[in-house]
Parts: sequence; structure tokens; C-alpha cells
Amino acid sequence: MEMIATTCVYCGCGCGLFIHVEDGRAVGVSPNPAHPISRGRLCVKGWLAADFVHHPDRLRAPLIRRGGRMVRSSWDEALTATAERLKEIRDEAGPGAVAVLTSAKGTNEENYLFAKLARAGLRTNNVDHVARLCHAPSVAGLGAALGSGAMTNPIRGLLSSDAILVTGSNTTEQHPLVAATILEAQSRGAALIVADPRRTQIASLADHRLAPRLGTDVAWINGLLNLIIEGGLADEEFIRERTAGFDALKESVSKYTPEVVEKISGIPPRDLEAAAAAFGEAPRAAVVYAMGTTQHSNGTENVLALANLVLATGNLGREGTGICPLRGHQNVQGACDMGALPNVYSGYQKVEDPAARGRMEAAWGTDLPPAPGLTAVEMMEAAKEGRLKGLFISGENPMMSYPDRGLVGRALESLEFFAVAEIFPTETTALADVVLPAASFAEKDGTFTSTERRVQRVRRAVPPPGEARPEVEVAAALLRRLGVPAEYASPEEVMAEIASVTPSYGGISYPRLGTAGLSWPCPDPDHPGTEILHKESFPIGRARFFPVELLAAGSDPEYPFLLTTGRSLFHFHTGSMTRRTHLLDRELPKPAVEMNPEDAAALGVRSGGRVVVESASGSLEVEARTTDTVPPGTVFFPFHFAEAPANLLTAADLDPRSKIPEFKRTPVRIRRLEG
Amino acid sequence: MRETGRRADGRARRGGEGGWGGTDGYVPLQAEVVDIDVESTNTYLLSLRPIDDEDETVEVDYSPGQFLMVSVFGLGECPISIASSPTREPLQICVREAGRITQGMMAARVGDVLGIRGPFGNGFPVADMKDRNVAIAGGGSGFATLRSLINYIADHRDDYREVTVVYGARTPQDLYFTSEYGSWQAADIEVGITVDMMDASWKGNVGLVTSLLSEIDPAPGAAALCGPPMMIRAVAKDLLDRGFIEQEIYISLERHMKCGVGKCEHCTMGPYHVCTDGPIFSYDRVRDLI
Amino acid sequence: MTASLLRREGLVPLLRDLAETLEVVAPILVDGSAVFATWRGEEPALKADNPLNSPVEFFLPKREVLFRYVQYSGRYTFAEEPPKARLIFGMRPCDLRALEVLDRLFGADIPDHPYLARRRSTVVVVLNCTTPGERCFCGFLGSGPAAVGGYDLLLTDLGRGYLVEAGSPAGVFILQAHRCHFEEPLPEDHLEKERLLAGAEEELRGRRPALSPEVLKRAIEETDWEVAGSRCLSCGGCSLVCPVCHCFTVIDQGVPDGERLRCRDSCTLAGFSRMTSGANPRPSLGERLRHWYLDKFVYIPEKTGLFGCVGCGRCSRVCLSDVDRWSLLREGPR
Repeated sequence: MEMIATTCVYCGCGCGLFIHVEDGRAVGVSPNPAHPISRGRLCVKGWLAADFVHHPDRLRAPLIRRGGRMVRSSWDEALTATAERLKEIRDEAGPGAVAVLTSAKGTNEENYLFAKLARAGLRTNNVDHVARLCHAPSVAGLGAALGSGAMTNPIRGLLSSDAILVTGSNTTEQHPLVAATILEAQSRGAALIVADPRRTQIASLADHRLAPRLGTDVAWINGLLNLIIEGGLADEEFIRERTAGFDALKESVSKYTPEVVEKISGIPPRDLEAAAAAFGEAPRAAVVYAMGTTQHSNGTENVLALANLVLATGNLGREGTGICPLRGHQNVQGACDMGALPNVYSGYQKVEDPAARGRMEAAWGTDLPPAPGLTAVEMMEAAKEGRLKGLFISGENPMMSYPDRGLVGRALESLEFFAVAEIFPTETTALADVVLPAASFAEKDGTFTSTERRVQRVRRAVPPPGEARPEVEVAAALLRRLGVPAEYASPEEVMAEIASVTPSYGGISYPRLGTAGLSWPCPDPDHPGTEILHKESFPIGRARFFPVELLAAGSDPEYPFLLTTGRSLFHFHTGSMTRRTHLLDRELPKPAVEMNPEDAAALGVRSGGRVVVESASGSLEVEARTTDTVPPGTVFFPFHFAEAPANLLTAADLDPRSKIPEFKRTPVRIRRLEG
Repeated sequence: MRETGRRADGRARRGGEGGWGGTDGYVPLQAEVVDIDVESTNTYLLSLRPIDDEDETVEVDYSPGQFLMVSVFGLGECPISIASSPTREPLQICVREAGRITQGMMAARVGDVLGIRGPFGNGFPVADMKDRNVAIAGGGSGFATLRSLINYIADHRDDYREVTVVYGARTPQDLYFTSEYGSWQAADIEVGITVDMMDASWKGNVGLVTSLLSEIDPAPGAAALCGPPMMIRAVAKDLLDRGFIEQEIYISLERHMKCGVGKCEHCTMGPYHVCTDGPIFSYDRVRDLI
Repeated sequence: MTASLLRREGLVPLLRDLAETLEVVAPILVDGSAVFATWRGEEPALKADNPLNSPVEFFLPKREVLFRYVQYSGRYTFAEEPPKARLIFGMRPCDLRALEVLDRLFGADIPDHPYLARRRSTVVVVLNCTTPGERCFCGFLGSGPAAVGGYDLLLTDLGRGYLVEAGSPAGVFILQAHRCHFEEPLPEDHLEKERLLAGAEEELRGRRPALSPEVLKRAIEETDWEVAGSRCLSCGGCSLVCPVCHCFTVIDQGVPDGERLRCRDSCTLAGFSRMTSGANPRPSLGERLRHWYLDKFVYIPEKTGLFGCVGCGRCSRVCLSDVDRWSLLREGPR
């Protein structure tokens, strides 16, 4: 039996583990005791991470749609068809009519090459991926406030925190290793403050629990800031030396007295005061946040409010401090770093910046388009309207994960051509013109970048099934067919190219990636990597305060409930891997909408009974489950289940700055299903 | 690769050898579906012919109350009580649609094969019940295992004294084995049937199984119960009030099972494995566990 | 002869010879950690802590094919694969004790053939523990630091070499067939072994002088399991890494032809005991954790006469929270 050291495929914690290989089959997983994050531990999905690899549903051969049916074809035929059709559309309707969606589960090398495919091959900046749906506000918000959109401090640094504010993060279920670290910090004396409308496990273990109404984060964060400033707990030296715009901020938050905050968010003044004291008095405090913060139509503003909080308290640049966006996918950080975004190249160099564009043009040997492209949900709109005609998707399932499934369905069906590279058949591959079988994380070499900017190796443990191939080969083959030179002997050579054009990855090379990987920025081959950002200065010089306001959240009498979507510990996102893992699917085999017992009683619904949930976008029949972890007026529904897709109900209401949809707050009405 | 189904001397394996129903390890015996009786909209009675590699019939010995691990290849394996009596052919299982595997069994047609392992479990203590009065009470789908006992007793009627059967289902459509009640009565077994909810055509009792007990008034002796936990507790209490003792009230329990042989640990109930220490337990051992 | 000395430099040549006829599994270093894996010629990592993946995994794999089924004309044929001939080198006494517990559980009543077949085709070479690991507590459970019987060969690191003792005919055979690697031990060698093991035992006892099975049982009774459950992060790691834990599930993959797989499972997961009807005899995490501890310290001893815990400490190494055995022992009940 062989033990292959690699990195887990599921979440942004980036745990190091071993895949156990027996006779060419992955038979199990165990944690790596020497890995700095897992330290010999894994969450339940990690322990079972290899279980889906040999599932009989794995795509094994390229498929092409002929006469309404998907027919097995050769790689040559499938790649040629894909390249030809996209080229045709680009030449006839213009580069604006083609787009590429990359995979946050793909490697850095794959993401880089697919972004190059879009820009150098198809001459479009229409490239994006699911970061649009999760942390686009972090990239936009922290990018503006601090000069960098990434988690500022390492996960283990939380052990040195004296206070940790967790907001919009169901940490024990979504980032278990981060939760384990937070709980360990708590047992060493750190004050744990958790803000969440639902009583999640981490909320129930908190020292201070804030339960705001959905969508009111700006109010209570401003409220905390106000109490901290008034209480003399702001870090005046830090503000003076390293920031700009404090006076406007102070003025703006002064309105958010505890009484005003209570009116907007429902948080009792004494809870707010206790949390403010715990955070403000802590010598080292950190903020940890995730989708509950970002997936709102004012997601960027929520992030800016949190940035204001850490800036005002001087909680940056030191161990145990920081602002920590928890990235969902194991490589969504890397996909962003690699420039799979419509407005930046790798390393967040702007496409609109002539100097950056010039460098990339020199490196890639071709002219590049100067105007930013479409974001993911905008691509769906454009497709529905016929402006977008051709699309290549790598490892994404928009039918399940994008908002407003009705829109996505119409959009994909309107396209003249779209191809998908995937490991399993999904609701999206079912509509494609070409389906390319891809290698899973256990079957290819490359790198992933975790939420704490840690670049780590992923290693091939077993051969891919049938004719499936690593997507780095697919991207290179398509590039060559579009006339862009792309001869790479291995993913390692792709990383060498990445390092040559991406300053923050300049010192990353495979021989240097040991058990602990390397944290970027790592600008040159002798640089040890950077654990803590912003120690001496911010990339933009001084960090900026951005005052943000929250008018009272609206309500709709036609849709009196608020639906918030989210995830479960036992499933990952659209479920293509976890629902094929027996032990995980057995834990949560079917969907149910969670509602408060009071609401259930008022509707005449018993736990286990069926209800109809309706929004302006669509309606769904589903089982109801009562639980008091959800406050009255709010219902929770996970988006893992194809038989009850939560995104039938959500809307493509986008945050104007970051274009993220409001997954976390959808007005709905609910009635009992008769019969 | 080693293929299974025959002993080294070439003869087909007999059921019951080593407890594996004729096979080694976890490889099942194949069983051809030879007949299907519809008991209700979601329950079929499947008659099986266990076969070896040459399609020869294999005899499987078992006792009432035992169960088989039944496979639908490609979907999986789950425990199903044996519904027939060992005194009669053919071997029968009663399948109620509950999940993917039982759905697969319900989709089987005559001529298809399922896999069987077993018989497993301890069965009802029919020897200890001899010369005793026997009160049998069942509710819902649990009645299938009691049918095995009832037909066994009917075929050994002289070994038992006063025998009574009390059986309840939700609606008349949910009653199993309706064509056999007459044959039980003909065998000098008193039968009481009840439903929770009647329909227009129902002329019989309506109400809980316990209410039937007062009518039937079983004399103390041995009892065999199977049904939902609430029913079992209520009936056991009623029987104890009538003078039955806990050690002679035998309950057939069910649990999630994956091996049938006490190894996978799914069916543990306190210190017991329901598959090997049960599924039949006397009430004194499990009163606090169900 | 039944006892020999193996010089340090003789270890790799011996393993090389053994590897000609058996697959040798030994602790090796991969990415900074010692793991049990197929030996490929390197110096085994015997000084490191007991690897996190227990060698019991080679008898009860995380995932194994019970049989393949092939359908033809409505009938099936089945094919099983025989186990490989293996030699596990460097197993610790605690893991050996785990095998003894599993022998009694899986050999009882209706025997488990796949496990027993692997037992019969695997040579077990045990290494006594002269320096206990940080989380180890085998001493008071009687499962370490020294092995007493049940091994084919037993090694004790004396510094100048390993004292090698045969515990079975297979062990004697190896000593004789590969005698070129061994030499006569000196009388002092046996004394040195006793001295080293006594020291290890003393160290273990010294860490937790008051610990005993009775203390543990009382701790289990007095713990508030609902509180423990509220802190558990449901990773299942404790039961997946424990060498005595053996829960498994069986799944079919493939229609009409395919495989019936046996996969390790965990009783701490809610779906483990849940029936198809939805009823669950152990619906809360606290109840499931309590059942796991009771199984180790009450039910398995009743069935086998041995504890269901061998004190290897792996559960506490993998716990994401603080509900592990180590905390239970360290601070008593909460």
C-alpha cells in the first residue's frame, strides 16, 4: 500500500492528508500529523475525501451532442469541435460573445491556463468563476480598504488571539479545522464572539452571542465601532500612522447607538456592549467571516464595515490579529490569484492598467483586450439575451450553484455552443454540447492555495478513469488549437510560467513546496513566504476607512418570510462528490427546509410534513423540519440537493460593486402542502 | 479468483451449514423469485427458490423468527424476516417498500434472482413454547415474522395449547395475509383483526390491538410480539396484567443491519447485537432498551 | 533457536530478503510523518511515534472488495480475491493487542472470513515500546509497553541492536531461514530488555498514577454526555483511527456488474444506527459518544475478556475538539 501526500479537495482550510493507494485504487485517507493545519486531524469530509474517486458514475469518455443525444467521441474530435466552434463565434460575433468559467476546484495551473485561454486564445476578458458567488465582496472590499483581498493572518495565528469575532460563518460545519483552532483558542482564554441569525454550533459555544436580523450586519458592526470609539478603545496610534479617513468614519458611526442598532438589527444593547468590550479591550483581536457577510446585495459594504472595525482597533499586522475571509472551495483563493476574473490578471494586476497589460502581452506574445469582461451572473444574463453565444465551463455547475435557476437554464439553452469539463455528470453537463471527462484531485499534479494564502502541492495518487485527463492538458490543447503556444511538459512548468508573471508567486516552485507549502506573497526564490500581511505597510500605503450605512432593511408583505440558504457539514456545495460518498449522503440524504416551531405551528405544519416555498423567482415543494436554531420569520435551506434546488428560489439581485448575488436573504412565502 | 456455491465434493451446499445458508464469507446464495403475492400497495410476498451454480434447488433450513440478509445486486443488502414456516414450501419473504434496496426487491419479477445469506438470528423458542398457551400479537409490517410462527404452530398444532392471534394495521388495505385467517381459525387458532381507520367496506373491529386483547382474552402462557415500540409496550403491559411473565413474552426487534453476523455493529442495542443475540428477546432483557 | 540479536545495520538487509517473498509493510517517512506503508528499501522510521494509521488497517482495510458480481442471462457469478501474503514490521504491542481483541470478536460465532484470511496470510513482527509516545496510556490497560505473546517475532531495541524473539513457528522459521542476518544474543541482552521495558512502564504509570479501568468507568458514568456532544465536531476520526474499532458498512457499486465493498464506518455518525423508517435508537451525538465509550470499557470486555481500548492514544491525536479519551482521563468528568 502506498501513501501519497496531498491536499484535501473540499474546503479552504487546506488540510494535508495521505491518500491510501492499494493496487492502483484509492482506498482511504488519513491525516498528516506533520501538516501545520490538520496536525493529524481532519473533518468528516476529509476523512472520506477519496470515497467518490472510483464511483461508477465518473465520466470516462468525451461526449458530443448529436441529434439530441450525447454520443461518445474521441478527444481529438471533442477538442477540435470545441476550439472550432468557439473560434467561429469569436470571429463572427466578436470576442465579447464568448466566455470561460473556470473551476474553484481546479488547480492553480489549470486556472491560469483557462484564464490564458480566454484572454490570449479567445481575446476576451469574459472569464470568471464561483468566487463571484462567495468572496467577490472580500476581493473588492478588502482590496479597496487594505490593498489586498486575502486573509491577512494565518489560521494558527488565532491561537494567539485574545478575542475572536466570528460573523456570517457556520465555522464548525464549513471550516472545521478553523473552528477547531478557534475553540482551542477559546479554551486558552480567548473571548469568542459569534454573530449569526441562526444558533449554529459555534454560536452555541460562544462566550458572547449576537443574533441580528438577516441583512443588518452594517448596523451592528457600526454599533460596535461606535461603542469602541466612544469607550476610548480605538487604537489611535495605528489610526494616525497607518490609515486615512477616520474622521468621516467616526462621524458616520456615531448615529449607530445601541438603541438604534437594536431597532434595526434586534440585538439587545447589553449584548452589543458586552461584545464591544470583549473585542475592544483585547490586545489582539481577529475577525473571521464568510458567506453570511458576503452573500448579500450589500456584501461589499458588510466587508468594508468589518475592515473599518479591525482598522480602528489596530488589529492588523500582528500575530493573533487580522481579518479572515474563509474561502469555501479548496482553491477558490488560487483561482482568484491566477486571474480567473474579468478585471485582473494573475496577482490581481488590473487589465485596465497599460503597464500590467503590456507585461502580460510580452509574456504571452499576443495583444490582449483592455476592457474588463462580464462577471459570472452577468454572463447568464448576456446568454439569455443572446449577447453571449459561446461558453467553456471547467468544473462548475451553474444549474445548481448560481442564483435563479430558471434564468440559468434559459441562459445555457440559449447559447449556440457550450462545453463542460467535469468529473461527474451534473445538471449542467446534461445541457452541454460537448462534455470532457476530467481527472479528480487524486489523479493529477498541481497546486492549491488555501484560504490563508498557503500554496500547497496536490499529487496524483491513482490514474484517472477511462480516458479522463487532467484539465491542465485540456487547457493547453485548446490553447494550441487557438494558435497560442502551450507546450508544457508538466504542471510544474506551468507554475514556472505563473511565477514569472505573478510577483506574489515569484518564488513559488515545486521543489520549494514541502509539507507546509509556502504562503504568498513570496516574490523570489529565497523568500520564505509571508504569514502575516500588512506588518509594516499596506500595498496602498495607508489603509482607508470607508463609511457605510444601512437604512432599515425592507420587508415585503407578499413574501413575509426570509429564506437564507447555506450548507451542511456533511455535503459540499452541489453535492456531486458528497452525494456519491455513502457515509456522507447517509448523514443527510434528503433536503428539508428548517423553520422555527412557532412559524410551523402558525402554518399548521408538522415536522416532516411537506410545504411549498415560493419566491419571486420560483417555487419548491419540500419537507419541513422544525428547529429552534432558526429564529421566527427566517427559514434555512441547504443548496446541496438536485431534487430540491435552493437556487430555484434565489434571485440574481447583485451587489453593485462586486456583483455577488443575495443568496443569504430571499423573501419567500410558505404554505402547507395539502394531501 | 475463487468462485463459490459448491462444496469441494461437488454437491450443492445445504442451508444452515455454518450458519451461512450455503455459502462462504459474505458471498450470498442466489434465490430465484418464483411467485409474487401482492399483500398491499407497498408490500409484496416473494416466494423464493434458492439455487446453486447449476440452477439446482438448495434447501435452506430455518426456524420461525429468523431472518435473511437479502441482496439486490447493485443496490445492496438488507435484513428481511422470513415470512414462511419451515414446515411449508416455498421459502418466502415479505417486502415492504421503505428504501432503495426494498424498492429494488419490489421491482423484481418472477425469474429474477436476489441474493440471500442466512438464516440468521435466534428464532422464536418454539420448543420452550410447547405445551403452553401461546398469544401472538402484531402490528403493521412486523406481522410478517409472526406469520412464520403461526403457520409453524398450525402445522404442529397438538404441541401447543390455547393459541390466539391479535393483529392490527392502519387501514384494511394494509392488512397482510387476509386469505389465511380462515385457515388459522380452521386450525383452532383464535384470530382477532383490527384497523386504526376503517373504510366503507370494513365490517370488523376498529381500534388498537390492546382493545382486541380484552375481547380475545388470551390465557397466560408464552407470547410472541412484533410491531412498533409503542404497541409492544402497551401489549406487554396488558399481558403482564393478565398474568403472563416477562421471561415468556418474546419480542421480535428490528435494527439497521449490514452483516447479520454480529460484526458490523450497526444493530447494537446496549450490550446486545440484535442480529445474533436476537432478533427475538424476552421482555425482561429489553424492557429498558426499546 | 528462539532468540537472536540483529545489529542495526542488519535491519535493512533482512527486510530486503524478506521482501523477496512477502510484501513488507513497515513504518516509513512520507512528507514528514511516519506511516505504515509498503516498504521500498529505505531505513524504517522506528524511532518515531507509532504511526497514526494503525497496521490493523491491513487486516480490516478502510475499503475492500468483498466480491465482484457479474450478471449473465439473469444469473450471477461471484469472484473473490485472495489476500496478499504480507509481513507487518514494527507493529507496537498496543496494536497487537487490538488484533487479539479483533480475533475474539471476528472469530466468534459465525466467523468473518475476509478478516481471518488476512490474519492467516500476514506475518506479524512487533517492536516493543521502550520510549512511550506523548498520548500513550497502554500500561494500565495491560496492552503495553511490552508484548506478551501473539507475535511471530518480537524486537526490542537495545541500542547496539535488536533482541529478536520468536513467538510462533513462523517466527522460528524466519530466524532459521535468514540466520545469516542474526547472531547469538548475550545473557545481558535479555536483562537489558527487561530494564528498558520496566523503565517504559514506570514512565507510563508515572504520568497518570491514579489511572485505572475503574476510574475510567466512573468517568464514563459521571460525564455529561450531552455537553460532550455539544462540543464534538462530528469528524468521526476517533472511530476511524482506533485499532479496535471495526464497524463497517457494505455497499454495492455497479449495475448490472459491479463490486460489493466493505467500508469502515463510524458509530459516532447519526446515520449509523438510523433505520430506514427514520427512527434512530441513538439520535443525539452525546448518546453515540457514550455508546462508543461503553462499548470499549464495558461491552467488549464482557464479550472477549479484553478491554476494547489499547491505550494507543490515536483518538486524542485526531480529535478536533476535546471530547477525546485523553481529556476524559486528564480531568475526569465535566
